[in-house]
Amino acid sequence: MNRFMSPNQTPCRNSRREFLWETGAGFTGLAMLDLLSRDGFFDKLRAEDKEGLSGLLAPKKPHFEAKASRCVFFFMNGGPSQIDTFDPKPVLDKHHGEEYKGELEVGSNGRAIGYLMKSPFKFQKHGESGLEISDLYPHLSTHADDLCLFRSCYTDTAAHASGCIQMNTGKVGIGSPSIGSWVNYGLGTISQDLPGYVVMTDPRGGPIGSASNWSSGYIPAAYQGTMFRSSGTPLLNMENPKGVTDRGQRKSLDLLGALNQQHRRTRKFESELEARIESYELAYRMQVAAKDVVDLSQESAKTHERYGLNDKITADFGRKCLITKRLLESGVRFIQLYSGGGHIEDTWDGHTDCITNHKLHAGETDKPMAALMQDMKDIGLWDETLFVWGGEFGRTPTSEGIGKPGRDHNWHAFTMWLAGGGVKGGQAIGASDDLGFGIADRPVHVSDFHATILHLMGLDHNLLSFYYQGLDQRLTGPDEAHIVEEALA
Amino acid sequence: MKRSLSITLCLLISFPLLAEEPGKMPEVSIDLKASDAKITQDDRDHWAFKKVERPDVPQVKNDRWVRNPIDAFILQKLERKGWKPAPAAVPGTLGRRLYLGLTGLPPTLKQQAAIDANSDPEQFDHLVKKLLASEAYGERWARHWLDIVRYAETNGYERDGMKPNVWRYRDYIIRALNDDVPFNQFILEQLAGDELETADSRTVIATGYYRLGPFDDEPADFAEDRFDQLDDMLNTTSQVFLGITLACARCHDHKFEALTQHDYYKMIAIFNPLTRPQSGRSDLDLPAGSVEQLANEQKRNGEIAKHNSNIDSINLAVALKRIQDGTSKLDDAIQKALKTPAGDRDSDAVKLIASKRNEIAADADSGLNDEQRDQLSQAKQAIKALREETPDLPRGYFFTESLENVPETNLLVRGKASSPGPVVQPGVPTVLTSVQPDFDNPTNHTTGRRLALANWIASDANPLTARVLVNRVWQHHFGVGIVRTPNDFGVMGAAPTHEALLDWLADWFVNEGEWSLKKLHALILSSNAYRMSSEWNESYAAEDPENNLLWRRPYRRLEVEAIRDSILAVSGQINRKMYGPSMYPYVPSDALDNHADKQKIWPAFNEEEANRRTIYSYVKRSLIVPFLEVLDLCDTTKSTPQRIVTSVAPQALTLFNGKFVNRQAEYFAKRLETEAGDGSAAQITLAFKLALCREPTATELQVMTDFLATETKKFREEDADGKLATSPEYRALVQICRVIFNLNEFAYPD
Repeated sequence: MNRFMSPNQTPCRNSRREFLWETGAGFTGLAMLDLLSRDGFFDKLRAEDKEGLSGLLAPKKPHFEAKASRCVFFFMNGGPSQIDTFDPKPVLDKHHGEEYKGELEVGSNGRAIGYLMKSPFKFQKHGESGLEISDLYPHLSTHADDLCLFRSCYTDTAAHASGCIQMNTGKVGIGSPSIGSWVNYGLGTISQDLPGYVVMTDPRGGPIGSASNWSSGYIPAAYQGTMFRSSGTPLLNMENPKGVTDRGQRKSLDLLGALNQQHRRTRKFESELEARIESYELAYRMQVAAKDVVDLSQESAKTHERYGLNDKITADFGRKCLITKRLLESGVRFIQLYSGGGHIEDTWDGHTDCITNHKLHAGETDKPMAALMQDMKDIGLWDETLFVWGGEFGRTPTSEGIGKPGRDHNWHAFTMWLAGGGVKGGQAIGASDDLGFGIADRPVHVSDFHATILHLMGLDHNLLSFYYQGLDQRLTGPDEAHIVEEALA
Repeated sequence: MKRSLSITLCLLISFPLLAEEPGKMPEVSIDLKASDAKITQDDRDHWAFKKVERPDVPQVKNDRWVRNPIDAFILQKLERKGWKPAPAAVPGTLGRRLYLGLTGLPPTLKQQAAIDANSDPEQFDHLVKKLLASEAYGERWARHWLDIVRYAETNGYERDGMKPNVWRYRDYIIRALNDDVPFNQFILEQLAGDELETADSRTVIATGYYRLGPFDDEPADFAEDRFDQLDDMLNTTSQVFLGITLACARCHDHKFEALTQHDYYKMIAIFNPLTRPQSGRSDLDLPAGSVEQLANEQKRNGEIAKHNSNIDSINLAVALKRIQDGTSKLDDAIQKALKTPAGDRDSDAVKLIASKRNEIAADADSGLNDEQRDQLSQAKQAIKALREETPDLPRGYFFTESLENVPETNLLVRGKASSPGPVVQPGVPTVLTSVQPDFDNPTNHTTGRRLALANWIASDANPLTARVLVNRVWQHHFGVGIVRTPNDFGVMGAAPTHEALLDWLADWFVNEGEWSLKKLHALILSSNAYRMSSEWNESYAAEDPENNLLWRRPYRRLEVEAIRDSILAVSGQINRKMYGPSMYPYVPSDALDNHADKQKIWPAFNEEEANRRTIYSYVKRSLIVPFLEVLDLCDTTKSTPQRIVTSVAPQALTLFNGKFVNRQAEYFAKRLETEAGDGSAAQITLAFKLALCREPTATELQVMTDFLATETKKFREEDADGKLATSPEYRALVQICRVIFNLNEFAYPD
């Protein structure tokens, strides 16, 4: 059992240990861990806690055995259209151009409702499973037998900010920890030289809601997503200050270390001090490791080609996917890649021309994602890696006016997919209605989807909790969430 | 109220409606009276819910250690174990502790010299008074308050809209603390400053408290969103002032506390009349003042408008005449608009004329006759006099309330706005009082409900208010509170380590202390308990590893504000300008990349402004300044009773490699060269004094001097051509300064 978990699991309980968490008295690793273990709250400290610095980030056992130990989340920012990607709607084709007379209210802010609009993209069956995918994804469809489509997802909001935040944190309001933070909180980090939770945004900008999307909310900031740039200096403050050579950097660090050790000699029981000394050495190692990860010159020309680095359409996302491969190899626990950034057509938010929009964004991401997935199979990390794809909601089967090929937000029914470790691929779970507007079968709420992701990583969404403001808070909230069992291999 | 002890039972209580289809709410009959009747005497007997009774000050053996009753309570528990408190901290250490604790800034050389010259315990009592009288005290302690009231200057979410003029609330807090506004008055002002008989701009700005929370201007469901705003006010108020977790009772009775769903909605009914000044999605500010002040300003504006209208009619008439004469120099478009008879002008013409008012007046000026000139001058004089007599009210950011359309409040079944239950009346939690305050006592412009709540919270008889406050003050002086869960004094909260001491302090604070925070500080800081050293004792630590008995001074890292402000003070760059709109610290452009509006999200860096104290830093919910965020700034969306302390690598990168610290290291080095001259030993000694308030040890001095010598040599070699503008000696000294800012001792005062 995870040592930060409650011994019993009522949603509103409290204990002395949890208030230590809440009051911040226990966040600096060794000190409080040691005290608490003496106090009998935790299992005996494991060796790595004593060697490594931080109990906060040290690897922890999952609640139960699971294949996937790391996760890649391809976040299609802006809301990709299910109808044009993974959810074929032959009935919609027949009603193309007709007025929509159904009961579902259409998206956001009184936009023009327009008329039913079929997808211009062709769907074909792929692989042994015959899973239908549109021709926006010629490369990804080679992995059709590994994809587990959820065609009946729904969320609680039609707005981008609250939608992104709900898809990432489970709540429509800001201030809660994101799923990457929860996973790192539950499992710790594997790589001690790199952040456990890496976020790479689109060059056009970040998602609406920005850092709220990878915030650690009320759990320690050590679990928040770290922005990682795909070129140059990937992390903030990673370069030596101007005029300081690597040799000089090391010398200054050595002086700092010597003085801090001297200071600690008469304060040897203050383990926070030791943790802080260690953090400087870790930072130094991180400087080296992070630079190394983004140095893609070590990769072969063939690899560059497979990830699309030579084509300017795919180059940026390709770089990110190739870096993701290297981060996964280094043991980074959770990586989130954003496709689309800024507003409207710079994201998947195809209000004006969903067709051109999706050709662009799918075109940028298809080949790189497929290459990453293939590499994970080839290097034997496939089973250990969970892939997640989707956005904050889907899009309507209606256009935004006659002859205007934009689609509005659809939070009633949309598609997400999972692949990789522990996932039963080659299938579509649930169904949207004939038009792809509402749900016809097997609704999957965002929280159910989250519970399934946690389960695939060996975490029980009911047990993974943090006591805060009088409640054992969870990613999936106080209401019951259900794992989508059909998705499990 | 019986609280379930078994898990199974508990789950049954928590999810009784699980089987229901979402969206289909079952018929629920909720009997409010029966709900209140669940509260038992047992519930009321919880220690924190009972009226505060002053306990006797205990007798102790070593009464020489007792400077005031605090020490007697602490020592009693130690003596029962046969333990001794840690020895007193040395004067230099205590001085640094006091300066950083009360003002968030280290003592200057002169201030250190004063401490060294006279280190009697009584002298420190004087020092405490002096520091409490300094303006820096309010800047330091206001930040503690801003943490618990979820202060930020934007709303969060997609547009992350500005909260216009919300900084006046921050300024209000700083001034209130510096003026030592009694805490009961402080409560009244924030909760009901607009409803007080003594209401004025200041107290109305104080009610901005309610409006500090996040706000989604594009909510998926407006009713639900409105309710979330009310929930935010309730959640914050119940934790900040009462230390109870009432928000847990939104959907069902609190599972572990004697707080019912009815209690929750009674409190919601208090806040429900508040409305949000808005124009479309934009949040609006308003002139802040009492009803009378607002009426005066309106009257004045009416009179000014009359004068302006006279001015305009003269100018327009003259301008028109000049057009007709052919002498007008105005644009054709304006001329055309003016030529149209007033009644026939379309809206564009009216707008144009209004927007070109000054140009028209300038043109008319050369055509005025003496009488007209006189009339204009008189009108302008009159306006000036009116403005002097009744100055503009400051604009503030707060909710408004009126007696029209006071909404009913329904209990919401399962907390969903879409399923209203019975109507509830305003009230406070049943367990906290046997007599409800009178909520049916409107003022001439509001329902008076918040005033009733504020009076109840701020009354001497409220069992929680003083206990909760005294605990917060204690926590900031000792690192942890007597109750370790400062926002939760319920049965699930931590039990106090020194219950009698807490009660004694609470009673003293209300009676002798007359709700004065400064008196409370002075009392706590005059105790020997506060003045102990952090000396370790292995056998005590084995038995009491968390230092619950307070056998030594606990160790705790400074908050990021005190770290940043100390760096600025030591480098000599601190800008002590107080109050006013916030400043924008340096944010690396890399950090803006993740933003949807990365081009325009953060104004250009102005170093002098940015060198103001950190409390004046703009708090933008979608872009927390990375330096602050990485060093454990509080969550800005909810009440944060205590900062988290983490030690992770990005902090080291920020402090060691980041631009801010390295730039300050350069200033610090220049300062050392100027103030200490060329000698390495003198420079290093001064650096230690300024940064750590002590002289370096012989070893430290040796290590540092050696470093300076070798690095100077290296820097000289690396720049053999002498291309760099600065000397190798200076560059080596900058490295020394950079290291000093990163020392553990800098962030962890003893």
